[in-house]
Amino acid sequence: MIITRRMLGVLPIAMAAAVAGMVPAGAFAQDASTLVVDTAFQLKTADPAREFEPTANLVLHPVYETLITFKGSDLTTLVPSLASIPVVAPDAKTFTFTLNPAAKFSDGSPVTVDDVIFSFNRVKNVKGSPSFLLDGVTVAKGAKDGEIVLTTEQPDPGLPYKLANPAVGIVNSKLVKANQGSADEGADKTDRAEAFLASTSAGSGPYILDKFDMAAEVVLKRNDAYWGAKPAYDQIVVRNVDTSAQQMNVMRGDSQIALDLRPDQLDAIKDAAYTLSVPGADVVFMFTNANPEISATAANPDFQQAVRLAIDYDGILAIAGEGAARPGSIIPTMFAGALPTDQGPKRDVEAAKAALAKSGIKDPVIELTYVSDITKNGVSFADVAAKMQADLKEVGITAELKPSPVSTFLDDYRAGTLPMTIVWWGPDYPDPSDYLLFGPGEKVGLRAGWKAGSAPEVTEIAKKAAVEIDQAKRIELYDAWQKALNAQGPFTSLFQPAFSMASSKTLEPVEYNAMWTIDLTAIAPAKQ
Amino acid sequence: MSFLRSAWYALPNLVRFVIRRLFVGVLLCLGITLVSFALTQVVPGDPVSANLGDRAASDPEIVAAFRARYGLDKPVPQQYLLYLERLVHGDLGESQQTKRPVTTDLAQYLPATIELATAAMILALVLGISLGVVAAIGRDRWPDQVIRVISLAGVSIPTFWLALVTFYIFFFKLGIAPGVGRLNPGGKAPPSITNMFTIDALLSGQWTTLGIAASHLVLPATVLAIYTVGSITRFTRAAMLESLSQDYVRAARAKGLPERTVILRHALRPALAAIVTVAGMAFGRMLSGTVLVESVFSWPGIGQYAYKSALALDLRAIMGVSLVVAAIYILVNMAVDIIYALIDPRIRLG
Repeated sequence: MIITRRMLGVLPIAMAAAVAGMVPAGAFAQDASTLVVDTAFQLKTADPAREFEPTANLVLHPVYETLITFKGSDLTTLVPSLASIPVVAPDAKTFTFTLNPAAKFSDGSPVTVDDVIFSFNRVKNVKGSPSFLLDGVTVAKGAKDGEIVLTTEQPDPGLPYKLANPAVGIVNSKLVKANQGSADEGADKTDRAEAFLASTSAGSGPYILDKFDMAAEVVLKRNDAYWGAKPAYDQIVVRNVDTSAQQMNVMRGDSQIALDLRPDQLDAIKDAAYTLSVPGADVVFMFTNANPEISATAANPDFQQAVRLAIDYDGILAIAGEGAARPGSIIPTMFAGALPTDQGPKRDVEAAKAALAKSGIKDPVIELTYVSDITKNGVSFADVAAKMQADLKEVGITAELKPSPVSTFLDDYRAGTLPMTIVWWGPDYPDPSDYLLFGPGEKVGLRAGWKAGSAPEVTEIAKKAAVEIDQAKRIELYDAWQKALNAQGPFTSLFQPAFSMASSKTLEPVEYNAMWTIDLTAIAPAKQ
Repeated sequence: MSFLRSAWYALPNLVRFVIRRLFVGVLLCLGITLVSFALTQVVPGDPVSANLGDRAASDPEIVAAFRARYGLDKPVPQQYLLYLERLVHGDLGESQQTKRPVTTDLAQYLPATIELATAAMILALVLGISLGVVAAIGRDRWPDQVIRVISLAGVSIPTFWLALVTFYIFFFKLGIAPGVGRLNPGGKAPPSITNMFTIDALLSGQWTTLGIAASHLVLPATVLAIYTVGSITRFTRAAMLESLSQDYVRAARAKGLPERTVILRHALRPALAAIVTVAGMAFGRMLSGTVLVESVFSWPGIGQYAYKSALALDLRAIMGVSLVVAAIYILVNMAVDIIYALIDPRIRLG
């Protein structure tokens, strides 16, 4: 057959018509019993014992229930889930939970103490990213039926808050063992259940895993055998969608929730959808390295004070955009123990100049390193660094900007070799004890060259805060610790980037939760 | 020896050509493994920092387990030799980010990109050749001028921008294009045969799925095709102008053949050799350069996989992608040479 020019011209139209003919009317329309959520995936596994990424928390929270949990956006109050609120011994080393006898897995079998022991030991022994949550924790059967006793080597009043993380969700031990799962010592080599858990879920939550595609979408189906209140949707599809398309998807009704919008996108969408812009739980902070071997300039306490006083915190908060907040110190605003903003450092150019003069350093020049290839909730570190450079210039400090890709930045940051940097800390669990790492001689403290013994007062308060179980006294101690940290430490908190999302008006308004972003099980259609 | 020599020369030219090229291709792939391995070693940054959480990366036991799992605890030369040994058995190692064999990842992501690139290539060839022929026929008149602007725009417009604008217009404003992804949200993929959804749906007779998969393909394929349309149009026009000035075309016209036959049979066919070269190169470029289109249209292909692997310093995945893309380049170039011989009788392979 000879293809003529006319035929060539008609071919694309014919193809389009053929395709259109094959797609039945309404094929693109969405089923009302399906909820579609768009987010840019940060996802590596469907195995709770190995996950520690935001998207994994989002999609596994409805699948794997934990002993205790949080409700709504409140991360300060634990509520029962598979078990009751624990009884904590006065030494904060023993925690006794009682399982709810009604709890059962999606295959109908009851959730037992053995399942809890297996799940916790598996988290510890597969040596994955969340293993640290149970460092030094021993789990055993209690004296009564359904009782679980956790003991710790050191007093750890923050432990219950770690146990609400989906990574320590309870798995059906029989099912996981039958599919090459292991919780024994050496499970990092012998456990082979990860592939199975990417195809079949083994939890007790209101949803089961129907499809797990790390690149495209995760599909959850309602667990018909769920032991608690039934969720509203039969199916939830969580799609991996670039931030650029998420806003349009919600406005067209292609999805109902967009989780990764920038604050400036919310104006365009606010008539068509509910918008929410609240401080996220990450804290962006800067430090001047206290180790004189890294930089004698940065380690000078008066120079550090000059930097603290030179920064225009309100200006930086404006760069972070609407919804961002500034914590008074290192603990984010939504956690117990957060210091009010007005108790954080304030800008005072004259005092900064005086501190610089007192340091004895003439025309100081310092390298300011920042991550150049990623943003934090749409906020560019380059913009923040440029603003800081201008602020420091005003008091006579020259900051030389040094952009760095995140993969190399993390090595240098963790090695403690950066003289001055802007970096962030995402919470591992929603308890102020997570932030004691910023103390002298502790992990993050050492990254800023803050050696053990260099600030005895800060260390002393931290020791007391770490073991105090009375919540009111704990908050007082963390308050005092952060004030001391602000005054003596090399760290200065800058802001918490805003979490900005939009949800369709066909839904009831959705709440943000810093642990699992949103609670998919709580989303419901708008009341008529 | 002489027996082998005579047996070799007894083979048809084409077969000898293919065997020789495949042998050279294997050596090239070996070279590529060495280069990509060396690059992954010299790049600053530790995969431990990129793959483990902050706390886990500070735990020596977890770091040791991670290094042991991915063979990073062995000396570098031994790592490379182990890689080659596994490669011979078809094992590309395990991805640090997906924790699956790289071959499994490639089997999932590569077909999505091949499907997209092939659809884009077909579209680019149909449009590019048509526009190039029309431009050559109407040389220096208004169709030529219009097409010149179109092809210039095609090669000049940034793909990422074009992807966003087309998505905005056809999906958001007009509502005639489906949303992102290869299927509708939660849509069931057809039974896996090639992992190219349109082909699999066709083979299994799932017509609705075929329609949905094809409709999802239209917009990203068009965007991906636009750049190539520009270059194919320009090459076709130049090659056609050269053909049209040849004596045999004048002779065909003098014989009184219809203009359509003169253009399509006598002028276009010799011009196709140049077009095939451009198309071969463009296909390779499409396979390795789809990342931006895949990103905007949430197309889970090899471009996104490669990008995420690079960010996570996922060494085995980076090497796997490099190797597969290189192999495809080599195969496409070989196919181009064979097509040369088929469309131009003056070319002999051997």
